[in-house]
Amino acid sequence: MISASLNQFKALLGKELKEAFRDKRAMMLAMTMAVMAPVMIFAMSKVMIKEAVETPAIYLKISGAEYAPKLIKALNKENILLFRDVPVAKRSVWDERELTLTIPETFNQDMLDGKTIDIYLSADYSEKANLSPIRRIKTTINHYARGIGYKRLLVRGIDVKLLQAINVIEQDRSLPNSNAMIISMMLGLYLLMAAFMSGLPVAIDSSAGERERNVLEMLLCQPVSTVKIVFAKLCCASIIACTGVILTLSLTSFSVSFIDLTKIGASFSLDAFTVAALLLLLFPICFFASALQLFVAFQSKNFKEAQSMVSMIIMLPAMIPVIMMFVDDKPNWLKWLPISGQSLIMEDLFKGLPVSWSLLGFTGFVTIAITALLVLLMAKKLRSETVVLALS
Amino acid sequence: MIEVTNLRKSFGGAKKGLFGKKDKPVIALDGLSFTANDGEITGILGPNGAGKTTCLRTLYGLLKADEGSATIDGINVVDNPLAARARLGIFPDKFGLYERLTAYEQIDYFASIHGLQGQAKHQAIEAVINDLEMAELAHRKTLGFSQGQRMKVTLAQALVHQPKNFVLDEPTRGLDVMSTRILRRYLARFKEKGHCILFSSHVMQEVAALCDRVIIVADGKLAAQGTPQELCELAGETQLEEAFVKIIGSDEGVAA
Repeated sequence: MISASLNQFKALLGKELKEAFRDKRAMMLAMTMAVMAPVMIFAMSKVMIKEAVETPAIYLKISGAEYAPKLIKALNKENILLFRDVPVAKRSVWDERELTLTIPETFNQDMLDGKTIDIYLSADYSEKANLSPIRRIKTTINHYARGIGYKRLLVRGIDVKLLQAINVIEQDRSLPNSNAMIISMMLGLYLLMAAFMSGLPVAIDSSAGERERNVLEMLLCQPVSTVKIVFAKLCCASIIACTGVILTLSLTSFSVSFIDLTKIGASFSLDAFTVAALLLLLFPICFFASALQLFVAFQSKNFKEAQSMVSMIIMLPAMIPVIMMFVDDKPNWLKWLPISGQSLIMEDLFKGLPVSWSLLGFTGFVTIAITALLVLLMAKKLRSETVVLALS
Repeated sequence: MIEVTNLRKSFGGAKKGLFGKKDKPVIALDGLSFTANDGEITGILGPNGAGKTTCLRTLYGLLKADEGSATIDGINVVDNPLAARARLGIFPDKFGLYERLTAYEQIDYFASIHGLQGQAKHQAIEAVINDLEMAELAHRKTLGFSQGQRMKVTLAQALVHQPKNFVLDEPTRGLDVMSTRILRRYLARFKEKGHCILFSSHVMQEVAALCDRVIIVADGKLAAQGTPQELCELAGETQLEEAFVKIIGSDEGVAA
């Protein structure tokens, strides 16, 4: 009896897998995520490192440069140049950024008198491209000013150390990994997305698609329980989602190995332990995502409606982690729910913090439980007349 | 044996929207009763919308009757749908194919669902493919099959497990003369073996030639039943077609 039942399920699943793997369009769509993620992460990291490490030339519009030649020289040393020296190719860019520094006429006299000199740095501070130049200009000027201040004290025979009543010694307890936080965060997001997106085409095709092609009715007339039908479809979509996740993970660790993260003092490695924990975390999510997609697709009236409704679900893994970033004191139940729970554990995992296996297990359990509930609901729906009537 | 007793089914009657009025329900079946015996081919005739398909769908367990019952070999289709379906070979009114599978794989799929496996399954599939003369179609993907070819695949997957009872909803629509003859011969052979065959059709010659008994359904009720000969006599006509028109056209005098 059990073996007959198992054979039946094997036939159902085998057919679903056969159909899924022969659907080239669906498979391509499924695997785009796996290919896209490593490429994106690679490109982003490259840009990040370049911004952090290099000090490209800044062209500053300085009025009154002639009053403070030594300051200008100090700025030049840090690759902060005068606007009149800008190469033609970059002229319009820097003209638009409009970084201006105003040095007063009285600069020299005030310096001699020991007065505080106000010089004006004006720029659009909300512009992201300006942030790094502004930081560099400020640091350079502050350094220069402090140098002068120290000399003044020294000349008067005062120990410079008097200025420093308290010295804060910073000890950064974040592990080296944490510096690669952005990469990890992105990888986490991509992995969740991959879990949701890879199985999607197959989930829609095997539910709403089959209904539209009139093959579902035929199947519902057969001596097979709807739970089995739904579970076979779920397994098929989930297997493909899991494949997508594994591909994303392996391709990413492969592509990240080409980036020299040590330049920004970061390291990023996916060791066997992390990978195992990640997969353990993500496989339930794959099942959950596929179940959710099948559920929505079975509810929709036709293939098109199913497609647009299911694409809403993809928003979940993209939105939930982002929303959670803004919640400072996270309530406990967030740790238990699907998606939010997994993304919190992933965050810890990437930070190199010890993973709470019981929490991981519990979140996985809740996710699977919700999935099972969805399967039973779908099976019940497929037995009801309304679904059958919608067939005709 | 298929037995239908006092089947009633109405559709609609649900409120549409929050403030909408109730629709008038459509009565599809209004106390339909009939029996299809083993070793006989029973034809269901009836005008469009008479309730034929609704009745057959109730047999598959896709729809639940409001009243009355349907049994297959004595198994109630509502109480034990899986066991009842296991004794059925179904050719539904609407069917599709898995277009990414070959004909053989489809038949294999349905055979496995019905619990066949191993060598027995393989033999059953080969047998049904030979019987329906579709060997050259067997290993092609069904995408792009003609209507007749699609019908054959669907028939094959309905019959591969050699069910005790066949329920065929207009199985000959779209089939060419050769295929229709093959199907007729096939059904006749199973009749000899003592299977129960129930099929609906609109082709009178076919019904007259093939059926041992004919059930005429009109407005969800049994209008008349008997052998084609009896029905002709009942209506006082020589052709079944004339008899059929007369029977569904007038309710008086031809109560079943």
